[in-house]
Amino acid sequence: MVTLNLNGTQKQLKSSPDTPLLYVLRNELGVMTPKFGCGLAQCGACSVLVDGKEIRSCVTPISALEGKKVTTVEGLPARWSELRKMSLNSAEQTLHPVQQAWIEEQVPQCGICQFGMMIKVTELLESNPSPTDAEIKAALTTSGPSPHLCRCASYVAILEGTHRAAKIMAEATK
Amino acid sequence: MRTVDTVSIHGANLSRRAVLSGGGALFVSLGAAPSLALAASANSLDPAKPASWIEIRQDDTILMRTGKCDFGQSSIFTAYRQIVAEELSVPVEKVTTVISGDTDTTPDGGGTFGLLRGAQNLRKAAAYTREAILELGAQKFGVARSSMTVSDGIVSGGDKTESYGKLVAGQDLHLTIPVRGDLTSFFGLQVTGDPPLKPTTAYTIVGQPVKNPILRTKISGEAVWVGDVKLPGMLHARMVHPTTLGSKLISAGKLDPSKFPKAQVVVIGNLVGVLSEDEWEAIKAARAVAADTKWSEWKGLPGHQKLYDHLREKVNWEELPATKGAMQGNVTTAPTAAKTHQASYFFPYMKHAPISPTVSLADVKSDGTVTLHTHSQNPQFLRSSIAKMLGKPESAVVIRTYPGASHFGRSNGGNAGSEDEAVLLSRSVGKPVRVQWMRPDDMQWSTSSPTSTSKINIGLDAQGKMQTYQADHYGPPMQDDRLIGAVLAGLPTIGAPTPDNGNGLQKLSLNVADRWVYDVVTNVAEQGHPTYQIGQRESPLAIGLRDHSMRTPIQFQQNFPREVAISEAAALAGRDPIEFRLDHVKSERFKTILSRLRKESGWETRSSPSPKARATGAEVVRGQGVSIMLRDQGYWACAAHVAVTPDSGQVKVERITIVMDLGIVVNPLQLKRQVEAGCLFGVGQALHEEAAFDEGAITSVNWRSYPILTMQETPEVRVVIAARPEIGEYGQGSESANALAAPAIAAAFFDATGKPIRRIPLKPEYVKSMLSA
Repeated sequence: MVTLNLNGTQKQLKSSPDTPLLYVLRNELGVMTPKFGCGLAQCGACSVLVDGKEIRSCVTPISALEGKKVTTVEGLPARWSELRKMSLNSAEQTLHPVQQAWIEEQVPQCGICQFGMMIKVTELLESNPSPTDAEIKAALTTSGPSPHLCRCASYVAILEGTHRAAKIMAEATK
Repeated sequence: MRTVDTVSIHGANLSRRAVLSGGGALFVSLGAAPSLALAASANSLDPAKPASWIEIRQDDTILMRTGKCDFGQSSIFTAYRQIVAEELSVPVEKVTTVISGDTDTTPDGGGTFGLLRGAQNLRKAAAYTREAILELGAQKFGVARSSMTVSDGIVSGGDKTESYGKLVAGQDLHLTIPVRGDLTSFFGLQVTGDPPLKPTTAYTIVGQPVKNPILRTKISGEAVWVGDVKLPGMLHARMVHPTTLGSKLISAGKLDPSKFPKAQVVVIGNLVGVLSEDEWEAIKAARAVAADTKWSEWKGLPGHQKLYDHLREKVNWEELPATKGAMQGNVTTAPTAAKTHQASYFFPYMKHAPISPTVSLADVKSDGTVTLHTHSQNPQFLRSSIAKMLGKPESAVVIRTYPGASHFGRSNGGNAGSEDEAVLLSRSVGKPVRVQWMRPDDMQWSTSSPTSTSKINIGLDAQGKMQTYQADHYGPPMQDDRLIGAVLAGLPTIGAPTPDNGNGLQKLSLNVADRWVYDVVTNVAEQGHPTYQIGQRESPLAIGLRDHSMRTPIQFQQNFPREVAISEAAALAGRDPIEFRLDHVKSERFKTILSRLRKESGWETRSSPSPKARATGAEVVRGQGVSIMLRDQGYWACAAHVAVTPDSGQVKVERITIVMDLGIVVNPLQLKRQVEAGCLFGVGQALHEEAAFDEGAITSVNWRSYPILTMQETPEVRVVIAARPEIGEYGQGSESANALAAPAIAAAFFDATGKPIRRIPLKPEYVKSMLSA
């Protein structure tokens, strides 16, 4: 039986160990922001953080995740509150800076790819707090197993949202 | 206070049915003629009953029902609320509830593509409602209606004031608005009559950058998307679709119960589904079943590499009648041209390709009633299709809609795929069934945006002015709304497109959808020549390559050749392509945006090709190109700046500038985001998108074999909104933006290399072979 930490809580999983994390999150744990896009690690709609690194949950069996820390968009406010030593309650009110920026910049069109986009941008900003346009584009195109795809092509908004998130994070850590 | 009365409000009827001890509201509904009321399905919300469309409640809040489903472009949560709030003169925050797209709780609303027709409907409905509020105030204060005013949700007259909520409190008030049209048609109903509309100069809400209030629920993870819906006892299903678009089932694969203890196979005709309570088991079991399932062989498609030749040489274009577009003067008797441009253009099949493949959850009860949880642009048409498949009345079917991945027109005739399969499997096993198409299902078994080829013939006079323009467009039709699961199962569905098919938009014809804009040209002849869907008549299942409207349907296919040809004609005339367009349009609105485009895009005024143009070498060459379009009262102009590396065939789009005049702009913030994204979608179409297929099946099965634009390729995007509220019309949103890029990019390629390119996508392999030809 695989045990992992999901958004700060220990979980013992009943699903068979070869099950990709995506189906375990959605069907056993009721965590719905990782979306099914391709099942082939080609689009990024199912992205989550594992120990702070973005992975594709649609092709990652839970057997590979024993003892790991998994963060989904549901867990981003808690991740921010821990980083900022603020109360979880207030982080849930304000959401993670990336989420705030996504609302302020009205980033999504249909929005279904944006969970993966926000996960990837969170990973980026944790290691590079003020990325350039080129660094953002590279993070979302060439750094992982495939580009993070947005069929609505909301890429301009994603770029502006990322810069806005960087600003919010910088102001919060002044 | 008078207690019972009926008053005419500019042709609408205001009545007070009762005085209540508590509650109270003004319900705004539509007066449907009896024949229309009969046409309505028994369980759709009767639009002639209260609680339709708009409701003013005693707590000063306003409820709005749209009949539209959220497709991510935010309009029902922003633009629609703004339009209603504006005409009612209430703060936009007071419009608290927007109910969308469930067939049992909203009036039928037509497809989502009719949003702005819907906006004019809402505008008028709200205007009637404001006039009714004035009447109620006048009655209450005992003063003439003409001396009453409204502002910020308060009605004033004489020296008295009252909030809308207090005005309706304790009363059961009804306003019935005149409408025409067919409730169940593609386009829904239209509000008629002429209630006084607020002058656009008085607007304080329309034109503001209102944010989409539902975005927080999506971003936080609270929103329930279509794929998230669960029902007790639900089974997960994966489909085992035929190996080709004409294969019949010989034998379905067997399941090894020791490997897949909870899985089962359901076979209905040629429809094969694999089900399990465990989703991962369903996926693995479906793979095992697919490997063991035998299908008949079929070859009946030309293959995408031979498609252009097939269209030009193999199709009998005389078989079906042509449709005329703009026809003026006489292209055949015009004086002999000083110069002519004559060329053929090609537009490939493309996929809607939503990021998440289609998914539906159906619950068919033992009494035969169906609840279908899905994501559809046209829930009402889907309801009728499902009822037809089951041989049940529409009253047995309820469609619930949820947010989902945008699929750009694929479900505007009801279905996007998977809905009917979920229903059939649920009926078969007696449990709720969730059908999730995998990526290859969604690429191979959905409809495609149709291919097209065009012959353009332009004659220039001695001064380099266009004296004749002749366009002949050839291609299959744009709309096949058959339920594919029903076709595979051999169950009733509407027919494939034929010349006499009267269902929805299935009639087999090819309209000239690109509005003619070069009014200065005296001799114009445009025709659309249709043919049957490719492979459909050859397929034993009558399937073949099914077509469906997608973003700017058919107009994109026809605007691309027109605008590329106009740029080539400008070069022939030795004129700058923007100047050449200015010479040939009469519309002052086009002249204004073209002049603005020249400034905003950093345009170099000169003829094409560029003096630095080069078709060989490893060094980058740069070019500029322009395109224009008129669509749904929206005037659009686009400039593309590209960099081409001739030796590698790489085309990079460096900058896209769009200037548009849409008359009244309801929400500049949402419009800018829609146009930026729509335009980039089009850049991806121009550079990458082509549905590949062999002789039996679509071979673009995932994002490797059907690449779309990536973040890395995102050019600089400049969107300039040249609003003209005094025009008094609503032009349309982002749909046009996606079609503008391709012809501008192709023209920029010509400018850069001196070689015309007359097809998309501009893939390196096509570019290289064209440059070396």
